[in-house]
Amino acid sequence: MSFIVLIATGLLIPLFYRNNIFIAKMIAVVAFIVAAYFVYQGQSLNSVFPYFVMTKATMIMEFALLATLAAVSLTLTGFERPLIAQMLFLGAVSLGLLETNNFFLFIVLFEVVAIISYILVANIRNFNNSEGAIKAFIAGAVASGIILLGFALFSFTSESFNYSDMNVSGKFTLIAVAIMLAGIFYKLTIVPMHAWAADAYSQVNHAAAAILSGVIKSVVLVATFKAFYKFMIAYPVATVLIFSFFAIVTMTLANFMALWQKRISKILAYSSIAHSGYALIPFAAAASIYSFAGILYYAVAYIFMQTSVFLILNDFRREAGVKFLQDIKGMGKRAPLHSLFFTVQLFSLAGIPLLAGFLSKAVAFYAGVDAGLWPIVLIAVLNSALAVGYYVWIIKHIYFDKSENEAAVKMSAGSLIGQLILLAGTVYFGIVAGNIIGAGMHFSF
Amino acid sequence: MVAIDIIFAPIFLSILVYFLTKGAEHITKYIALGWFLVLFFISLSWLHQLPAHGFLQLGTYLQVPAFNFDLTLQVDALSVAMLLLTSLLLILVVFTSWNEKNQASYFSLLILFSGPIFGVFMTTNVLWFFMFWELTLVPMLFLIGMWGAERRIYAAIKFFLYTHVFAMFMFVGFFLLYKQTGYWDITQIKEAALTTPALIWWLMFAGFAAKLPLFPFHTWLPDAHVQAPSSISVLLAGVLLKMGAYGLIRFTVELLPATTREFALWMVVFGLLTTFFAGMLAIYEKHIKKMVAYSSISHMGLVVVAIATMTYDGLSASLYEMIGHALIISPLFLIAGWLHHKTHTWYMNEMGGIMKYAPYASAIFILAGMAALGLPGTMGFVGELTIIISAVKSFGWWIAVIALGGFISAGYIIWSVRRAIHGEPSEIVLNSTFEMSAAEKFALAVFAFLIVYFGIVPQPIFDVANKAFSSFFGGM
Repeated sequence: MSFIVLIATGLLIPLFYRNNIFIAKMIAVVAFIVAAYFVYQGQSLNSVFPYFVMTKATMIMEFALLATLAAVSLTLTGFERPLIAQMLFLGAVSLGLLETNNFFLFIVLFEVVAIISYILVANIRNFNNSEGAIKAFIAGAVASGIILLGFALFSFTSESFNYSDMNVSGKFTLIAVAIMLAGIFYKLTIVPMHAWAADAYSQVNHAAAAILSGVIKSVVLVATFKAFYKFMIAYPVATVLIFSFFAIVTMTLANFMALWQKRISKILAYSSIAHSGYALIPFAAAASIYSFAGILYYAVAYIFMQTSVFLILNDFRREAGVKFLQDIKGMGKRAPLHSLFFTVQLFSLAGIPLLAGFLSKAVAFYAGVDAGLWPIVLIAVLNSALAVGYYVWIIKHIYFDKSENEAAVKMSAGSLIGQLILLAGTVYFGIVAGNIIGAGMHFSF
Repeated sequence: MVAIDIIFAPIFLSILVYFLTKGAEHITKYIALGWFLVLFFISLSWLHQLPAHGFLQLGTYLQVPAFNFDLTLQVDALSVAMLLLTSLLLILVVFTSWNEKNQASYFSLLILFSGPIFGVFMTTNVLWFFMFWELTLVPMLFLIGMWGAERRIYAAIKFFLYTHVFAMFMFVGFFLLYKQTGYWDITQIKEAALTTPALIWWLMFAGFAAKLPLFPFHTWLPDAHVQAPSSISVLLAGVLLKMGAYGLIRFTVELLPATTREFALWMVVFGLLTTFFAGMLAIYEKHIKKMVAYSSISHMGLVVVAIATMTYDGLSASLYEMIGHALIISPLFLIAGWLHHKTHTWYMNEMGGIMKYAPYASAIFILAGMAALGLPGTMGFVGELTIIISAVKSFGWWIAVIALGGFISAGYIIWSVRRAIHGEPSEIVLNSTFEMSAAEKFALAVFAFLIVYFGIVPQPIFDVANKAFSSFFGGM
């Protein structure tokens, strides 16, 4: 039901947003709320189709997803209106991707998400936008090809594609999984498949980048973990080696790259890449019972904070023409509300406590310690301490420096409500961990 | 419910306070003062409710059964002593920053700071302890970065990054504690269950050592303390450094006694190095506030030596010296900052003859300085004497070299008094006006009174120490 509601609204909404974006936004928000209600009732795809199951963990992730999408749609203005329809489609497909327990459907829905993301970035206003969009498209197409190659290999060895009775001990399974992971690492922006993301995230429209780097990445993280869980259990040594290696390389390189950047969107893009690195630690620690709780918590926390920072940057760019670090000097005075939200979410990304960013990192990294990978966790926490360097550097520009321009930057009501929703998510999951860890600990695919 | 409210209410309401008092900024300091008085009296009531041994239960909140994780709040005499010290310093800091600029944000940040700092001393859950520990950095970052002196931004970011990086070692240590015992609560963790106690000990020690700070990890402190406004230096020296010492007592001596005994000599070596090295730097320093900052580091070295004895005497002495250090260093920082504010110079050799123009401040500077070098009748004397006696009892006569620390502090204190307070007034001093507001005078008087009072009547603090440490070693 929730799937149908979102798709139907997505098809209808272009009729409204030509004339009045406010009504279109309201309809979209109502659609997200209705979808969330159906998810709560257990009447999502699982009640209609086979191969979809709803667990408590899935439900929490879906609530986070729908709340974030509603918040994003509230903040949109003007030429960003096509995003509303695309987000409704994206929401619907993401519900499927999160609920599915079939590997074939996982690959199909993954491709659908990829196609929606190409349309998302194709909202081109200038040369930079088109460069980012082309890069996202070409990298995505390459990734799709690689994933399909791996999947074709895998399909020779397995009779069934259900997560529970896939054959994971075939002759080609390990190489097939490795090839598929190479493709999925493009989407998760793991070094060395990250190069497109640094440009795409920073050059496409920031609202699209918020969805691309925040929403889609979180959904793909959870779905990928569920899809590959059986493989990771079957090949424990390869899992630890592959994922620890890529985790360390990704976070270290991305953090050092972020330190050099002058463009704020590029800093946030590299921070997003670094976060993919942290999120690989629960993958490496798949043997631990905390691994799924870790990845679920990470995704839920990340969806709120990453989306929020890009949306605020979008507001800054639109209202004050902010591009570089020097442009946000003195924003603490000019735009107190924006700056407050931005600072809190940046602290959350940096892993400061009482915000979701800390507890999610704590649980995800604890999974690593639980699996006996404490040296890797030590590298990861030192990396996240290094990352504080560039987050605090942004905050330094906002609050400690004086600006040349004194014009106040106003915050629209929609933007305020959207940011409040995202802030509520960040703060709530930063203090109350019971639901999410409980749901993540008792999982079965 | 009151226990959890005192931690979380200031964290969330401080933002509200900021936006509500934006038009009438002077109200904020009264709100802050009122709140800190409430905190002080609540801590005082806990002191009276304390059981003879162990913890006073304040409740368990936010349970996460799957992770065996909850916010357990309980206080023993050691935590209550820290809470009383914290709230007292917060109250006095309101007076010393009575005329601070941008009051709405300044006092909102102070209120915000009071939440996590109470959390640090109130919870016995290791992960929540770490969360509050980290959260104290955020208001401090803004307080140093926005109200500090010329190089405030450098100092604020260095302080934040440095302590954050070292806290990360502690974080992994805490993870290993839980991994190997299955409990987050320090009252339930048993040392015998640990498989790698040495590794955990060193990881945790790195975090505490950077906060204290011990000798090789101390470089953030001179910058942060010098660039911070004086009132914030008071909080840094009086409260944040105490977090490190508190952590050492709680997480090494109490939690891992056997491992700590194994590495106690390392602690002594680090403590002695800190005392001598920082003391030497203080002699060399011409910068008045840097001199005070190094003196503060030097005294924390003594605290670590006292903790390393792991005896009832040593721990009591360390608690006494912790409180004494907070009360002695604070007026020194305040007067050093005030002198800079009036004369616009940091250097003692450019001052001189201040006694003639600002007798009140000079008198209290001399009193606190004498306390810092251990003059009988002040807190410094009792603290240093008990530390030396307990250390000699535990480690043998050679540890008496620690008394050299007292000589070194005599060197820098007396020389600084000679250069800055006495002597011929310099050009700069002659051209300055020395006025002190009544609020600042009041705060300094309270510090001076407490230094002398507890120096003559040390028993109240040792009574608290008796309650705090008797359960460790079977009482006295």
